[in-house]
Amino acid sequence: MRIHRRPIVNFCIAAIFSVAVASHADETCNSPYMSGLIKGQEDFVHVWTLGVPGLGDGWDKLVTIDANPSSKTYGKVIHKISVGSRGEAHHMGFTDDRKYLWAGGLDDSKIYVFDVGSNPSRPKLVKTIDDLPAKTGYAGPHTFYALPGRMLIGDLSNAADKGGVTGMAVYNNKGDFIAKYDMPTTTIKQVKGDGYGYDIAVNPAKNALLTSSFSGWNNYMRDLGELMKDPEAMKHFGNTMVMWNLKTMEPEQVLAVPGAPLEIRWALSEGQNWAITATALTSQLWLVSRGPQGLWQAKDVAQIGDPAKVPLPVDISITADAKGLWVNTFMDGTTHYFDLTDPQHPKETYSKHTGSQVNMVSQSWDGRRVYVTSSLLSKWDKKGKDNEQFLRAFHWDGHELTPAFEIDFTKEQLGRPHHMKFTANPSRVASLAGASAR
Amino acid sequence: MRRAGALAGVVAGVLSLFGIAGVACAAIDPGKATAPRMEFVPPPPGSYKLQKIQRVTDALLLDSSAHSVRLSALTHSKITLLTFFYTYCVDPLGCPFAHTTLAYLRDRVRGDRALAERVRFVSVSLDPTHDTPEVIASYSKEFTIDPKFDWRFLTARRVPDLLPVLDDFGQDVSVEMDENGHPMRTLHHMLKMFLIDARGNVREIYTLAFLQPQVMFNDIKTLALETG
Repeated sequence: MRIHRRPIVNFCIAAIFSVAVASHADETCNSPYMSGLIKGQEDFVHVWTLGVPGLGDGWDKLVTIDANPSSKTYGKVIHKISVGSRGEAHHMGFTDDRKYLWAGGLDDSKIYVFDVGSNPSRPKLVKTIDDLPAKTGYAGPHTFYALPGRMLIGDLSNAADKGGVTGMAVYNNKGDFIAKYDMPTTTIKQVKGDGYGYDIAVNPAKNALLTSSFSGWNNYMRDLGELMKDPEAMKHFGNTMVMWNLKTMEPEQVLAVPGAPLEIRWALSEGQNWAITATALTSQLWLVSRGPQGLWQAKDVAQIGDPAKVPLPVDISITADAKGLWVNTFMDGTTHYFDLTDPQHPKETYSKHTGSQVNMVSQSWDGRRVYVTSSLLSKWDKKGKDNEQFLRAFHWDGHELTPAFEIDFTKEQLGRPHHMKFTANPSRVASLAGASAR
Repeated sequence: MRRAGALAGVVAGVLSLFGIAGVACAAIDPGKATAPRMEFVPPPPGSYKLQKIQRVTDALLLDSSAHSVRLSALTHSKITLLTFFYTYCVDPLGCPFAHTTLAYLRDRVRGDRALAERVRFVSVSLDPTHDTPEVIASYSKEFTIDPKFDWRFLTARRVPDLLPVLDDFGQDVSVEMDENGHPMRTLHHMLKMFLIDARGNVREIYTLAFLQPQVMFNDIKTLALETG
């Protein structure tokens, strides 16, 4: 390698690619140890999409959409890669170097590893991990949270009875199993754990790992209408969050948060001591914060829509400064914005009907672009004409969501769009191998 | 920890003076780096187990005397902290920060004679073309002030010898190019430090947010307690 000498100071960008960020949602909802956060214009949106029998090839697939307005293919599907099976595609997460995207199937418990670093416009499937149930006894890999050199996976179910008692698995970035950690079922700090799992979020400065709880395969793979009429089945939803010691991976506190607390977002700025979540069944925002004795406490701080109408809050997306929160409610197809300036008293300041059903919501780092997808779960999505399947992109000026573009996933023969992740084309960099060959 | 905190504060201050320059990606703007914070009491050594993350694969590298050295010889028989660097890196929260943190840990470990005999540090250059054995020998003088403490600085005979090592550790590196497609003097890499047990297993990986010296010291002692 011949490196040109330059008389000016250049910075090794080691540190700024491993930044502890101010908060996390999506772009702001990635693990805070991940490199290469996109704080400008994202080039691509990758959508992990559930296959639908008879629609296209019917398989789960990673769909790539051009999201850069300066591109000739802006707002178009530019790539798709099927995985050759249908296993309830759901969530994804980048590795710490942002080179690979891990994507899970809630039904078949498979994990697909896509290379999105070599050419983000054309992801490649490079590995399939299918030993999660055998190695851990868990099923339904949900959250993929990057730790340095490894992936922490929050699961929803177990292989034995397919109920909600589950745990977390750790794999290294090569895809080898390392460790498993059961969700607690004992009483810790006066609250009994239910053993259920869902999301994972870490605050490295506090050595804190916070988890939430949802439900097992028996419920999430069952028709929603039938499920809601079954009082016994409706008892099998998570009602707790757990604060773990990240270093020891021991649960230190169980918090009572009734109604299936789902996505978790930390405020990671210095001096902030809180995380927020939304409960699906009770339609509330809950704040997890440090109490006077140093213990964590959970408190419901706002209602989302009218809980009596069961709006079913699903995904949330926090702004980079942790001053605002997007919340999607599935049943009424509404995207809400809450002012979080006072996190103890969030206030809804805006809402818009963005579809007949809406699930995931992701915003750019600068908050100017908001993306919404429609599908929740294959058995929970609406039927008939309300079964819209789309990705809708919006501009946000602080007052109004204005449509930017839309992809009809049914018309395009793609399936049910679920989780979104952003990538960008790196400019003017070469691999060490490439540079040395010049 | 007070000293480490002060170090972090100084580094953060320097960073704010310098600002961040040389961002190579148009859309990927990682923004301003922040020094790691530690707002908790770390668990005591031996009260937890470190995961076995991966085995270290062997490779042939060069030491600062231009002798060939097997990496496996430096990742076994002692507890090893290994990091990657390049000598002309000037990012205050990059390689200099890593080596400042290691120097602090060296002094902590030296305070425990029995422990000091069981610990080594290894710094491997990312730029074998520039960082010849002579260059790393000169660079390392600042850090190898105590001949009794085992701190090795390594490079490679050529880049292809280094690539499998980087791949094995999952250490990403890219080179910034100028407008004519020529490589420049900026290497992009995610700062990582690897804690390796005496049997050659990576047991912890520290990125910037985890470069918390007291935690790292406790991790070293935790590994030492495993084998008594």
